[in-house]
Amino acid sequence: MTTCDYCKRPAIYHDTRVSNGITKTVSLCEDHAKEAGIDIGPDGISISLTPEMMGFTFTPSISTCPDCGMALADYKEKALLGCPECYVTFKEQLIPVIANLQEKHTQHVGRSPRRASADIDRHIAIRRLLSDLERAVTQEAYEEAADIRDTLRDLHQKDDDSAL
Amino acid sequence: MHFDPNINCPYASGTTAFGDVVLSSRARLARNLEGFPFVNSASVGDCEEVELLLAPACNCDDDFTLVWVDLHKLSKVERAMCAERHLISTNFADADNPRGVMVGPELARSIMINEEDHLRIQSIKPGLDLLNAHNDVMAMDQRMEKLVAYAFDEQLGFLTACPTNVGTGARFSVMMHLPALRITKGFRQLYNACEGMSIAIRGYHGEGSETIADLYQLSNQVTLGYNEEDLRSMLEDEFLPTVIENERNARMKIIEKYGAKLDDRVFRAQGILENATILPLDEAMDCLGRVRLGVSLERITNLEINTINQLFIDIQNGHLQWRYDGNLSEAELQEKRATLVKEKFAA
Repeated sequence: MTTCDYCKRPAIYHDTRVSNGITKTVSLCEDHAKEAGIDIGPDGISISLTPEMMGFTFTPSISTCPDCGMALADYKEKALLGCPECYVTFKEQLIPVIANLQEKHTQHVGRSPRRASADIDRHIAIRRLLSDLERAVTQEAYEEAADIRDTLRDLHQKDDDSAL
Repeated sequence: MHFDPNINCPYASGTTAFGDVVLSSRARLARNLEGFPFVNSASVGDCEEVELLLAPACNCDDDFTLVWVDLHKLSKVERAMCAERHLISTNFADADNPRGVMVGPELARSIMINEEDHLRIQSIKPGLDLLNAHNDVMAMDQRMEKLVAYAFDEQLGFLTACPTNVGTGARFSVMMHLPALRITKGFRQLYNACEGMSIAIRGYHGEGSETIADLYQLSNQVTLGYNEEDLRSMLEDEFLPTVIENERNARMKIIEKYGAKLDDRVFRAQGILENATILPLDEAMDCLGRVRLGVSLERITNLEINTINQLFIDIQNGHLQWRYDGNLSEAELQEKRATLVKEKFAA
Protein backbone atom coordinates (compact mmCIF):
# COMPACT_ATOMS: atom_id res chain seq x y z
CA MET A 1 0.00 0.00 0.00
CA THR A 2 1.39 3.40 -0.95
CA THR A 3 1.11 6.04 1.71
CA CYS A 4 0.57 9.79 1.40
CA ASP A 5 3.70 11.90 0.86
CA TYR A 6 2.66 14.20 3.68
CA CYS A 7 1.42 11.71 6.27
CA LYS A 8 1.30 7.94 6.69
CA ARG A 9 -2.33 7.40 5.74
CA PRO A 10 -3.22 5.40 2.59
CA ALA A 11 -2.79 7.37 -0.64
CA ILE A 12 -5.88 7.55 -2.86
CA TYR A 13 -4.43 9.91 -5.47
CA HIS A 14 -1.26 9.35 -7.52
CA ASP A 15 0.23 11.59 -10.21
CA THR A 16 3.39 10.59 -12.08
CA ARG A 17 5.21 12.95 -14.47
CA VAL A 18 8.41 12.73 -16.48
CA SER A 19 10.37 15.90 -17.00
CA ASN A 20 13.89 16.10 -18.48
CA GLY A 21 14.22 12.37 -17.98
CA ILE A 22 13.32 12.56 -14.26
CA THR A 23 10.17 10.75 -13.04
CA LYS A 24 8.31 12.39 -10.17
CA THR A 25 5.30 10.89 -8.40
CA VAL A 26 2.95 12.59 -5.99
CA SER A 27 0.84 10.36 -3.70
CA LEU A 28 -1.84 11.93 -1.50
CA CYS A 29 -4.35 10.74 1.08
CA GLU A 30 -7.98 11.84 0.91
CA ASP A 31 -7.54 14.86 3.22
CA HIS A 32 -4.38 16.15 1.57
CA ALA A 33 -5.84 15.53 -1.89
CA LYS A 34 -8.86 17.64 -0.94
CA GLU A 35 -6.60 20.36 0.43
CA ALA A 36 -4.65 20.34 -2.82
CA GLY A 37 -7.86 21.09 -4.70
CA ILE A 38 -8.50 17.64 -6.12
CA ASP A 39 -12.20 17.06 -6.34
CA ILE A 40 -13.25 13.74 -4.79
CA GLY A 41 -16.87 13.13 -5.73
CA PRO A 42 -19.05 10.12 -5.03
CA ASP A 43 -17.93 8.50 -8.29
CA GLY A 44 -14.23 8.85 -7.55
CA ILE A 45 -11.66 11.48 -8.37
CA SER A 46 -11.92 14.15 -11.02
CA ILE A 47 -8.57 15.83 -11.42
CA SER A 48 -8.18 19.58 -11.45
CA LEU A 49 -4.60 20.35 -10.50
CA THR A 50 -3.67 23.57 -8.83
CA PRO A 51 -0.56 25.48 -9.92
CA GLU A 52 1.10 24.35 -6.69
CA MET A 53 0.48 20.76 -7.62
CA MET A 54 1.90 21.27 -11.08
CA GLY A 55 5.12 22.60 -9.57
CA PHE A 56 5.23 20.07 -6.74
CA THR A 57 5.54 22.87 -4.19
CA PHE A 58 2.48 21.90 -2.18
CA THR A 59 2.79 22.65 1.53
CA PRO A 60 0.14 20.97 3.70
CA SER A 61 -1.50 22.80 6.56
CA ILE A 62 -3.15 19.70 8.07
CA SER A 63 -0.86 18.62 10.88
CA THR A 64 -0.36 14.87 11.22
CA CYS A 65 1.77 12.72 13.47
CA PRO A 66 5.01 11.79 11.69
CA ASP A 67 5.03 8.33 13.29
CA CYS A 68 1.45 7.10 12.80
CA GLY A 69 -0.10 9.65 10.44
CA MET A 70 -2.94 10.52 12.79
CA ALA A 71 -4.53 13.95 12.39
CA LEU A 72 -6.06 15.80 15.33
CA ALA A 73 -9.49 15.35 13.74
CA ASP A 74 -9.04 11.56 14.15
CA TYR A 75 -8.55 12.04 17.90
CA LYS A 76 -11.68 14.17 18.11
CA GLU A 77 -13.59 11.36 16.41
CA LYS A 78 -12.17 8.33 18.29
CA ALA A 79 -11.02 9.91 21.59
CA LEU A 80 -7.88 7.78 21.19
CA LEU A 81 -4.39 8.80 20.12
CA GLY A 82 -2.47 6.80 17.51
CA CYS A 83 0.95 6.39 19.11
CA PRO A 84 3.21 7.81 21.84
CA GLU A 85 4.63 10.36 19.36
CA CYS A 86 1.12 11.92 19.03
CA TYR A 87 1.63 13.35 22.53
CA VAL A 88 4.67 15.24 21.19
CA THR A 89 3.12 16.26 17.86
CA PHE A 90 -0.12 17.58 19.36
CA LYS A 91 1.21 18.60 22.78
CA GLU A 92 0.03 22.20 22.47
CA GLN A 93 -3.53 21.16 21.64
CA LEU A 94 -3.60 18.18 24.03
CA ILE A 95 -2.44 19.89 27.23
CA PRO A 96 -5.74 21.81 27.71
CA VAL A 97 -7.70 18.59 26.93
CA ILE A 98 -5.64 16.66 29.50
CA ALA A 99 -6.01 19.44 32.08
CA ASN A 100 -9.77 19.26 31.60
CA LEU A 101 -9.83 15.47 32.02
CA GLN A 102 -7.34 15.35 34.90
CA GLU A 103 -8.62 17.92 37.40
CA LYS A 104 -6.31 20.60 35.91
CA HIS A 105 -3.20 18.46 36.51
CA THR A 106 -0.59 18.48 33.75
CA GLN A 107 2.48 17.15 35.60
CA HIS A 108 3.14 13.50 36.43
CA VAL A 109 4.31 12.90 40.00
CA GLY A 110 4.07 9.09 40.16
CA ARG A 111 6.72 6.49 39.56
CA SER A 112 9.01 6.40 36.53
CA PRO A 113 9.98 3.25 34.67
CA ARG A 114 13.38 1.69 35.22
CA ARG A 115 15.35 1.45 32.02
CA ALA A 116 18.39 -0.64 32.75
CA SER A 117 18.22 -4.02 31.14
CA ALA A 118 19.68 -5.89 28.20
CA ASP A 119 16.14 -6.83 27.22
CA ILE A 120 15.28 -3.19 26.63
CA ASP A 121 18.16 -3.01 24.14
CA ARG A 122 16.53 -5.99 22.43
CA HIS A 123 13.17 -4.13 22.32
CA ILE A 124 14.87 -1.12 20.72
CA ALA A 125 16.82 -3.34 18.27
CA ILE A 126 13.59 -5.08 17.23
CA ARG A 127 11.84 -1.72 16.81
CA ARG A 128 14.69 -0.51 14.57
CA LEU A 129 14.58 -3.71 12.49
CA LEU A 130 10.82 -3.31 12.02
CA SER A 131 11.34 0.22 10.65
CA ASP A 132 14.06 -1.11 8.33
CA LEU A 133 11.72 -3.89 7.21
CA GLU A 134 8.94 -1.41 6.41
CA ARG A 135 11.35 0.73 4.38
CA ALA A 136 12.77 -2.30 2.53
CA VAL A 137 9.28 -3.52 1.59
CA THR A 138 8.25 -0.02 0.44
CA GLN A 139 11.37 0.17 -1.73
CA GLU A 140 10.69 -3.36 -2.98
CA ALA A 141 14.13 -4.45 -1.70
CA TYR A 142 12.91 -7.97 -1.05
CA GLU A 143 16.29 -9.61 -0.47
CA GLU A 144 17.11 -7.08 2.23
CA ALA A 145 13.61 -7.57 3.71
CA ALA A 146 14.18 -11.34 3.88
CA ASP A 147 17.50 -10.79 5.71
CA ILE A 148 15.80 -8.48 8.21
CA ARG A 149 13.05 -11.06 8.80
CA ASP A 150 15.73 -13.70 9.49
CA THR A 151 17.43 -11.41 12.01
CA LEU A 152 14.06 -10.76 13.70
CA ARG A 153 13.35 -14.49 13.84
CA ASP A 154 16.77 -15.11 15.42
CA LEU A 155 16.10 -12.48 18.08
CA HIS A 156 12.75 -14.03 18.96
CA GLN A 157 14.29 -17.52 18.91
CA LYS A 158 16.69 -16.31 21.58
CA ASP A 159 13.68 -15.27 23.70
CA ASP A 160 12.27 -18.78 23.57
CA ASP A 161 15.60 -20.31 24.63
CA SER A 162 16.23 -18.10 27.65
CA ALA A 163 14.04 -17.41 30.65
CA LEU A 164 14.15 -14.10 32.47
CA MET B 1 -5.93 -23.02 30.52
CA HIS B 2 -7.98 -25.01 32.99
CA PHE B 3 -10.79 -23.04 34.53
CA ASP B 4 -12.21 -24.11 37.84
CA PRO B 5 -14.83 -21.49 38.64
CA ASN B 6 -15.17 -22.88 42.15
CA ILE B 7 -11.71 -21.71 43.23
CA ASN B 8 -10.82 -18.25 44.44
CA CYS B 9 -14.02 -16.45 43.58
CA PRO B 10 -13.05 -12.79 43.22
CA TYR B 11 -16.16 -11.89 45.23
CA ALA B 12 -15.41 -14.21 48.20
CA SER B 13 -15.71 -11.28 50.58
CA GLY B 14 -17.87 -13.02 53.19
CA THR B 15 -15.23 -13.25 55.91
CA THR B 16 -13.48 -9.92 55.19
CA ALA B 17 -13.87 -6.80 57.33
CA PHE B 18 -16.12 -4.85 54.97
CA GLY B 19 -17.36 -7.84 52.98
CA ASP B 20 -21.01 -7.03 53.66
CA VAL B 21 -20.64 -3.95 51.43
CA VAL B 22 -17.51 -4.42 49.29
CA LEU B 23 -17.39 -7.52 47.08
CA SER B 24 -14.01 -7.02 45.44
CA SER B 25 -11.13 -4.63 44.83
CA ARG B 26 -9.18 -4.22 41.62
CA ALA B 27 -5.98 -2.36 40.73
CA ARG B 28 -5.05 -1.80 37.11
CA LEU B 29 -2.09 -0.22 35.30
CA ALA B 30 -2.14 0.86 31.64
CA ARG B 31 1.20 0.66 29.82
CA ASN B 32 2.46 0.97 26.24
CA LEU B 33 5.70 0.12 24.47
CA GLU B 34 7.95 2.86 23.20
CA GLY B 35 8.20 2.99 19.40
CA PHE B 36 5.01 1.05 18.67
CA PRO B 37 1.68 2.52 17.55
CA PHE B 38 -1.15 2.19 20.08
CA VAL B 39 -3.39 -0.81 19.46
CA ASN B 40 -6.16 1.21 17.74
CA SER B 41 -3.78 2.15 14.91
CA ALA B 42 -1.44 -0.86 15.03
CA SER B 43 -1.12 -3.39 12.22
CA VAL B 44 -1.49 -7.13 12.80
CA GLY B 45 2.33 -7.34 12.57
CA ASP B 46 2.76 -4.66 15.26
CA CYS B 47 0.37 -6.51 17.60
CA GLU B 48 2.23 -9.79 17.02
CA GLU B 49 5.60 -8.14 17.72
CA VAL B 50 4.26 -6.71 20.99
CA GLU B 51 3.10 -10.20 21.99
CA LEU B 52 6.52 -11.69 21.16
CA LEU B 53 8.35 -9.00 23.12
CA LEU B 54 6.21 -9.55 26.22
CA ALA B 55 5.76 -13.34 26.12
CA PRO B 56 9.05 -14.13 28.00
CA ALA B 57 7.40 -12.73 31.15
CA CYS B 58 5.68 -16.13 31.40
CA ASN B 59 9.04 -17.95 31.60
CA CYS B 60 9.79 -16.48 35.00
CA ASP B 61 8.82 -18.39 38.11
CA ASP B 62 10.15 -16.24 40.96
CA ASP B 63 7.37 -15.20 43.34
CA PHE B 64 4.38 -15.61 41.05
CA THR B 65 3.51 -17.49 37.90
CA LEU B 66 1.85 -16.21 34.76
CA VAL B 67 0.45 -18.44 32.03
CA TRP B 68 0.12 -17.18 28.46
CA VAL B 69 -3.35 -17.64 26.95
CA ASP B 70 -3.92 -16.85 23.26
CA LEU B 71 -7.43 -15.39 23.02
CA HIS B 72 -7.83 -16.78 19.49
CA LYS B 73 -7.38 -20.30 20.84
CA LEU B 74 -10.10 -19.93 23.45
CA SER B 75 -13.69 -20.81 22.63
CA LYS B 76 -16.36 -18.11 22.76
CA VAL B 77 -17.60 -19.62 26.05
CA GLU B 78 -14.11 -19.54 27.61
CA ARG B 79 -13.63 -15.91 26.52
CA ALA B 80 -17.00 -15.02 28.04
CA MET B 81 -15.99 -16.76 31.29
CA CYS B 82 -12.75 -14.76 31.46
CA ALA B 83 -14.76 -11.54 31.07
CA GLU B 84 -17.34 -12.63 33.66
CA ARG B 85 -14.48 -13.31 36.11
CA HIS B 86 -13.15 -9.80 35.27
CA LEU B 87 -9.85 -11.30 34.10
CA ILE B 88 -10.36 -9.50 30.80
CA SER B 89 -12.70 -6.77 29.56
CA THR B 90 -15.77 -7.56 27.47
CA ASN B 91 -14.38 -5.55 24.53
CA PHE B 92 -11.15 -7.53 24.72
CA ALA B 93 -13.07 -10.83 24.69
CA ASP B 94 -14.85 -9.86 21.46
CA ALA B 95 -12.00 -8.08 19.58
CA ASP B 96 -10.31 -9.66 16.55
CA ASN B 97 -6.73 -8.30 16.61
CA PRO B 98 -3.85 -10.54 17.80
CA ARG B 99 -4.17 -10.48 21.58
CA GLY B 100 -3.51 -12.59 24.60
CA VAL B 101 -3.77 -12.59 28.33
CA MET B 102 -1.24 -13.67 30.94
CA VAL B 103 -3.09 -15.19 33.87
CA GLY B 104 -1.98 -16.24 37.33
CA PRO B 105 -3.17 -19.77 38.19
CA GLU B 106 -5.00 -18.30 41.18
CA LEU B 107 -7.13 -16.34 38.67
CA ALA B 108 -6.49 -13.03 40.43
CA ARG B 109 -3.56 -11.60 38.46
CA SER B 110 -3.85 -10.96 34.74
CA ILE B 111 -2.21 -8.90 32.02
CA MET B 112 -4.18 -8.19 28.87
CA ILE B 113 -1.87 -7.78 25.87
CA ASN B 114 -3.14 -5.54 23.04
CA GLU B 115 -6.31 -4.29 24.70
CA GLU B 116 -6.80 -0.50 24.31
CA ASP B 117 -3.21 -0.22 25.57
CA HIS B 118 -0.41 -2.72 24.90
CA LEU B 119 -0.58 -3.85 28.53
CA ARG B 120 -3.41 -3.72 31.02
CA ILE B 121 -1.92 -5.14 34.21
CA GLN B 122 -4.49 -5.98 36.87
CA SER B 123 -5.16 -7.82 40.09
CA ILE B 124 -8.50 -8.48 41.75
CA LYS B 125 -8.93 -9.33 45.45
CA PRO B 126 -12.00 -10.27 47.47
CA GLY B 127 -13.41 -7.59 49.79
CA LEU B 128 -11.79 -4.20 50.39
CA ASP B 129 -8.12 -4.86 49.67
CA LEU B 130 -6.77 -2.33 47.19
CA LEU B 131 -3.45 -2.30 49.02
CA ASN B 132 -2.63 -5.91 48.12
CA ALA B 133 -4.10 -5.59 44.65
CA HIS B 134 -1.77 -2.61 44.16
CA ASN B 135 1.22 -4.62 45.45
CA ASP B 136 0.40 -7.34 42.90
CA VAL B 137 0.26 -5.00 39.92
CA MET B 138 3.49 -3.26 40.96
CA ALA B 139 5.28 -6.64 41.05
CA MET B 140 3.94 -7.52 37.59
CA ASP B 141 4.86 -4.06 36.30
CA GLN B 142 8.43 -4.48 37.51
CA ARG B 143 8.69 -7.84 35.76
CA MET B 144 7.43 -6.36 32.48
CA GLU B 145 9.66 -3.29 32.55
CA LYS B 146 12.72 -5.53 32.58
CA LEU B 147 11.63 -6.72 29.14
CA VAL B 148 10.55 -3.56 27.35
CA ALA B 149 10.91 0.22 27.35
CA TYR B 150 7.60 1.81 28.27
CA ALA B 151 6.31 4.87 26.43
CA PHE B 152 6.95 7.55 29.04
CA ASP B 153 7.15 11.34 29.11
CA GLU B 154 8.75 13.31 31.96
CA GLN B 155 5.77 15.70 32.08
CA LEU B 156 2.85 13.42 31.25
CA GLY B 157 4.08 10.15 32.74
CA PHE B 158 3.08 6.82 31.19
CA LEU B 159 1.57 7.52 27.76
CA THR B 160 -1.74 5.80 27.04
CA ALA B 161 -4.03 5.58 24.01
CA CYS B 162 -6.69 7.57 25.87
CA PRO B 163 -5.57 10.68 27.79
CA THR B 164 -8.00 9.73 30.60
CA ASN B 165 -5.39 7.14 31.68
CA VAL B 166 -2.22 9.17 31.15
CA GLY B 167 0.20 9.77 34.05
CA THR B 168 0.23 6.85 36.45
CA GLY B 169 -2.04 4.75 34.22
CA ALA B 170 -3.43 3.53 37.55
CA ARG B 171 -7.10 2.80 38.09
CA PHE B 172 -8.33 1.51 41.45
CA SER B 173 -11.88 0.24 41.64
CA VAL B 174 -14.17 -1.56 44.04
CA MET B 175 -17.39 -3.47 43.46
CA MET B 176 -19.91 -2.40 46.10
CA HIS B 177 -23.38 -3.57 47.10
CA LEU B 178 -25.37 -0.44 47.99
CA PRO B 179 -29.07 -1.40 48.18
CA ALA B 180 -29.87 0.61 51.31
CA LEU B 181 -28.41 3.86 50.00
CA ARG B 182 -30.61 3.50 46.94
CA ILE B 183 -33.74 2.63 48.94
CA THR B 184 -33.23 5.50 51.40
CA LYS B 185 -32.44 7.94 48.59
CA GLY B 186 -28.90 8.44 49.82
CA PHE B 187 -27.54 8.39 46.30
CA ARG B 188 -27.71 12.11 45.64
CA GLN B 189 -25.33 12.66 48.54
CA LEU B 190 -23.09 9.85 47.28
CA TYR B 191 -23.00 11.28 43.74
CA ASN B 192 -22.11 14.73 45.10
CA ALA B 193 -19.35 13.26 47.27
CA CYS B 194 -18.01 11.27 44.29
CA GLU B 195 -17.97 14.40 42.14
CA GLY B 196 -16.10 16.34 44.82
CA MET B 197 -13.41 13.66 45.06
CA SER B 198 -13.25 12.87 41.30
CA ILE B 199 -14.54 9.36 41.89
CA ALA B 200 -16.50 7.67 39.10
CA ILE B 201 -19.56 5.59 39.98
CA ARG B 202 -20.64 3.07 37.38
CA GLY B 203 -22.88 0.03 36.90
CA TYR B 204 -21.95 -3.64 37.28
CA HIS B 205 -20.23 -3.94 33.90
CA GLY B 206 -18.29 -0.68 34.19
CA GLU B 207 -18.41 2.33 31.89
CA GLY B 208 -21.80 2.97 30.33
CA SER B 209 -23.43 -0.07 31.94
CA GLU B 210 -26.70 -0.21 33.81
CA THR B 211 -27.14 -0.87 37.47
CA ILE B 212 -27.82 -4.52 38.28
CA ALA B 213 -28.66 -5.90 41.73
CA ASP B 214 -27.58 -2.61 43.38
CA LEU B 215 -23.97 -3.44 42.49
CA TYR B 216 -21.78 -0.44 41.65
CA GLN B 217 -18.16 0.09 40.66
CA LEU B 218 -16.42 3.07 42.23
CA SER B 219 -13.03 4.15 40.86
CA ASN B 220 -10.62 7.08 40.68
CA GLN B 221 -11.24 9.32 37.66
CA VAL B 222 -7.95 11.18 37.76
CA THR B 223 -4.69 9.39 36.93
CA LEU B 224 -2.30 12.37 36.64
CA GLY B 225 -0.97 14.74 39.29
CA TYR B 226 -0.98 12.24 42.19
CA ASN B 227 1.30 9.29 42.81
CA GLU B 228 -0.07 5.76 42.73
CA GLU B 229 -0.13 5.32 46.49
CA ASP B 230 -2.03 8.59 47.01
CA LEU B 231 -4.63 7.57 44.42
CA ARG B 232 -5.15 4.24 46.21
CA SER B 233 -5.24 5.80 49.65
CA MET B 234 -7.68 8.56 48.68
CA LEU B 235 -10.17 5.90 47.59
CA GLU B 236 -9.53 3.11 50.11
CA ASP B 237 -8.60 5.04 53.26
CA GLU B 238 -10.33 8.39 52.86
CA PHE B 239 -13.42 7.95 50.71
CA LEU B 240 -14.75 4.42 51.02
CA PRO B 241 -14.96 4.12 54.84
CA THR B 242 -17.63 6.85 54.85
CA VAL B 243 -19.56 5.21 52.01
CA ILE B 244 -19.46 1.86 53.83
CA GLU B 245 -20.59 3.47 57.08
CA ASN B 246 -23.43 5.31 55.32
CA GLU B 247 -24.60 2.10 53.65
CA ARG B 248 -24.52 0.22 56.96
CA ASN B 249 -26.41 3.04 58.74
CA ALA B 250 -28.99 3.10 55.95
CA ARG B 251 -29.47 -0.67 56.36
CA MET B 252 -30.12 -0.19 60.10
CA LYS B 253 -32.53 2.63 59.34
CA ILE B 254 -34.46 0.35 56.98
CA ILE B 255 -34.74 -2.36 59.67
CA GLU B 256 -35.99 0.16 62.23
CA LYS B 257 -38.43 2.03 60.03
CA TYR B 258 -39.48 -0.40 57.30
CA GLY B 259 -38.78 -3.86 58.75
CA ALA B 260 -41.94 -5.48 57.35
CA LYS B 261 -41.36 -4.01 53.89
CA LEU B 262 -37.73 -5.15 53.95
CA ASP B 263 -38.72 -8.70 54.90
CA ASP B 264 -41.32 -8.76 52.15
CA ARG B 265 -38.77 -7.73 49.51
CA VAL B 266 -36.14 -10.14 50.78
CA PHE B 267 -38.34 -13.21 51.23
CA ARG B 268 -40.22 -12.66 47.96
CA ALA B 269 -36.85 -12.68 46.19
CA GLN B 270 -35.80 -15.81 48.10
CA GLY B 271 -39.10 -17.44 47.14
CA ILE B 272 -38.51 -16.74 43.45
CA LEU B 273 -34.95 -18.08 43.56
CA GLU B 274 -35.97 -21.24 45.44
CA ASN B 275 -38.99 -22.02 43.31
CA ALA B 276 -38.71 -20.56 39.83
CA THR B 277 -38.09 -23.01 37.01
CA ILE B 278 -37.21 -20.30 34.48
CA LEU B 279 -34.87 -17.48 35.49
CA PRO B 280 -33.84 -14.66 33.13
CA LEU B 281 -30.43 -13.20 34.06
CA ASP B 282 -31.66 -9.75 35.08
CA GLU B 283 -34.37 -11.15 37.35
CA ALA B 284 -31.93 -13.61 38.94
CA MET B 285 -29.35 -10.88 39.60
CA ASP B 286 -32.01 -8.56 41.04
CA CYS B 287 -33.34 -11.29 43.38
CA LEU B 288 -29.79 -12.26 44.45
CA GLY B 289 -29.14 -8.62 45.33
CA ARG B 290 -32.22 -8.53 47.56
CA VAL B 291 -31.40 -11.87 49.20
CA ARG B 292 -27.83 -10.63 49.81
CA LEU B 293 -29.24 -7.68 51.73
CA GLY B 294 -31.38 -10.12 53.78
CA VAL B 295 -28.36 -12.32 54.54
CA SER B 296 -26.17 -9.37 55.56
CA LEU B 297 -28.91 -8.17 57.96
CA GLU B 298 -29.43 -11.72 59.30
CA ARG B 299 -33.06 -11.81 58.11
CA ILE B 300 -32.00 -14.95 56.22
CA THR B 301 -29.76 -17.20 58.30
CA ASN B 302 -29.48 -20.39 56.27
CA LEU B 303 -27.37 -18.88 53.46
CA GLU B 304 -23.79 -17.58 53.37
CA ILE B 305 -22.92 -14.26 51.75
CA ASN B 306 -20.22 -16.05 49.74
CA THR B 307 -22.84 -18.38 48.22
CA ILE B 308 -24.67 -15.34 46.86
CA ASN B 309 -21.43 -13.65 45.75
CA GLN B 310 -20.32 -16.76 43.86
CA LEU B 311 -23.73 -17.04 42.21
CA PHE B 312 -23.42 -13.50 40.81
CA ILE B 313 -20.69 -14.99 38.59
CA ASP B 314 -21.91 -18.58 38.20
CA ILE B 315 -25.28 -17.59 36.73
CA GLN B 316 -23.73 -15.51 33.92
CA ASN B 317 -24.21 -17.01 30.45
CA GLY B 318 -20.58 -18.05 29.85
CA HIS B 319 -20.28 -19.84 33.17
CA LEU B 320 -23.61 -21.62 32.66
CA GLN B 321 -22.62 -22.76 29.16
CA TRP B 322 -19.34 -24.11 30.55
CA ARG B 323 -20.95 -25.85 33.53
CA TYR B 324 -23.58 -27.63 31.43
CA ASP B 325 -21.11 -28.29 28.63
CA GLY B 326 -23.45 -27.23 25.92
CA ASN B 327 -24.54 -24.82 23.29
CA LEU B 328 -27.62 -23.77 25.21
CA SER B 329 -30.33 -21.52 23.78
CA GLU B 330 -31.52 -18.53 25.80
CA ALA B 331 -34.58 -20.53 26.96
CA GLU B 332 -32.38 -23.44 28.06
CA LEU B 333 -29.99 -21.06 29.85
CA GLN B 334 -32.91 -19.67 31.86
CA GLU B 335 -33.94 -23.18 32.92
CA LYS B 336 -30.37 -24.21 33.84
CA ARG B 337 -29.94 -20.97 35.80
CA ALA B 338 -33.02 -21.76 37.88
CA THR B 339 -31.75 -25.31 38.48
CA LEU B 340 -28.29 -24.12 39.56
CA VAL B 341 -29.65 -21.50 41.98
CA LYS B 342 -31.99 -24.06 43.56
CA GLU B 343 -29.09 -26.49 43.98
CA LYS B 344 -26.82 -23.90 45.61
CA PHE B 345 -29.58 -22.67 47.92
CA ALA B 346 -30.35 -26.23 49.04
CA ALA B 347 -26.68 -27.14 49.66
